[in-house]
Amino acid sequence: MTDAIARTNERNQLFKDLFSGNTPKRVPISNPATQDFAIQYAGLDLAECQWDLTKLEPVYDKFCQDFYTDTYPGGSIRIPSHYQILGSTPIVMSSSGFMQHPDVVGMLAEEYDEFIASPYDCIVETILPRLYTEFNGPPGKVAMALAKAMKAQADDLASLGAIRAKMNAKYGFATMVGALTEAPFDFMSDFLRSFKGISGDVRRYPDKVAAACEAVLPLMIKKGTLPNPSMLGYTFVPLHMAPYLREKDFAALYWPTFKKMVETLAGMGQSVQLFVEQDWMRYIDYLYELPENTIMRFEYGDPKLIKEKLGKKHIISGLYPVTLLQTGTKQQCVDKAKELLDILAPGGRYWWQADKSIIHLDINGPVVENLRAVLDYVHENGTY
Amino acid sequence: MDTKYYTTWEEYLAEHPELEGKPEQAIAPKIVKYEDAMFTFIMDLLL
Repeated sequence: MTDAIARTNERNQLFKDLFSGNTPKRVPISNPATQDFAIQYAGLDLAECQWDLTKLEPVYDKFCQDFYTDTYPGGSIRIPSHYQILGSTPIVMSSSGFMQHPDVVGMLAEEYDEFIASPYDCIVETILPRLYTEFNGPPGKVAMALAKAMKAQADDLASLGAIRAKMNAKYGFATMVGALTEAPFDFMSDFLRSFKGISGDVRRYPDKVAAACEAVLPLMIKKGTLPNPSMLGYTFVPLHMAPYLREKDFAALYWPTFKKMVETLAGMGQSVQLFVEQDWMRYIDYLYELPENTIMRFEYGDPKLIKEKLGKKHIISGLYPVTLLQTGTKQQCVDKAKELLDILAPGGRYWWQADKSIIHLDINGPVVENLRAVLDYVHENGTY
Repeated sequence: MDTKYYTTWEEYLAEHPELEGKPEQAIAPKIVKYEDAMFTFIMDLLL
């Protein structure tokens, strides 16, 4: 057995233990820096590397070598080619090469009934043509644009998958698979009604919002289902709108279908990782109700309260403030890692991740040195 | 899903009688795989 295979086996065991509620040998670690960060760290052009993925293998090799992590770092779901081919307006590349999501409205308020009657038909016939210019025009032209875009995305994912396989074989990362979905209410908000639109709908048409969330729930479950659910696979669910709702609206409109979705996915024998964005402290008792061993990566909140209320049932992650890596000294960054380790690690059920991903790198700033120090500290001091 | 744009294997088979007698165990996974791939691609455009 090679060293890399042995490391993969060891790391897989860490996550099997973690996800099943057993205390692992040590606290597992995921590097919060993204592919964008890795490209900048390598000193290469962000836009060019995302269009020409052959440039990424040495980028990832250096990234994996220089920063400790138990899981494959980076990755990207925002590869520009298929967005460009389809004439995307909700996902666009900025002049600096970052993929961005402007606030868009894919569905009008008067289209709720059409959506509720058949969400997927409404998506294909009404919403996509509004958000992607190439979904408009003669059927043959639309079909060809769609075929080109799917081929482009498949090729890009194959390129990234090949790099990932090489890095896993060389560095022995845990071999986890993932799917992506959203809470039904967030899906209705993000690309369909927009932040402003859904905020008004909650007051003007709460019954329609509730019906739309129910209607789209089967699609969100299907989207989040792994082809072969297993202990080392999880569905990633970024949570967006709840902190901006009144609790009564959260309870009536957000929570019911979100809870059903998580329960259904967990019932298939796979893990669910929630990215609990913004501050959910006023909903912490709701989170407790989710199936045992739900992974919760928090952005903000009180670590002690989270550990006390959720730490015996769920798996806690996040909370490490990445902004400190830019503003703090190396000692302050390490001290913060120690503080969180002391609070969250006892008894297991803790996965070291940061409160958010690191996208932009000021190459002359302290982030590289501070991030490396924090990852090394947790690796060396996270043993149970 | 109640939709014109996603077809289950049973629906597909009913619409394609020319497949009768053909090796369903080989054909069905392939047809379903691309049906699901299209669903995932479409939904990813809105995530």
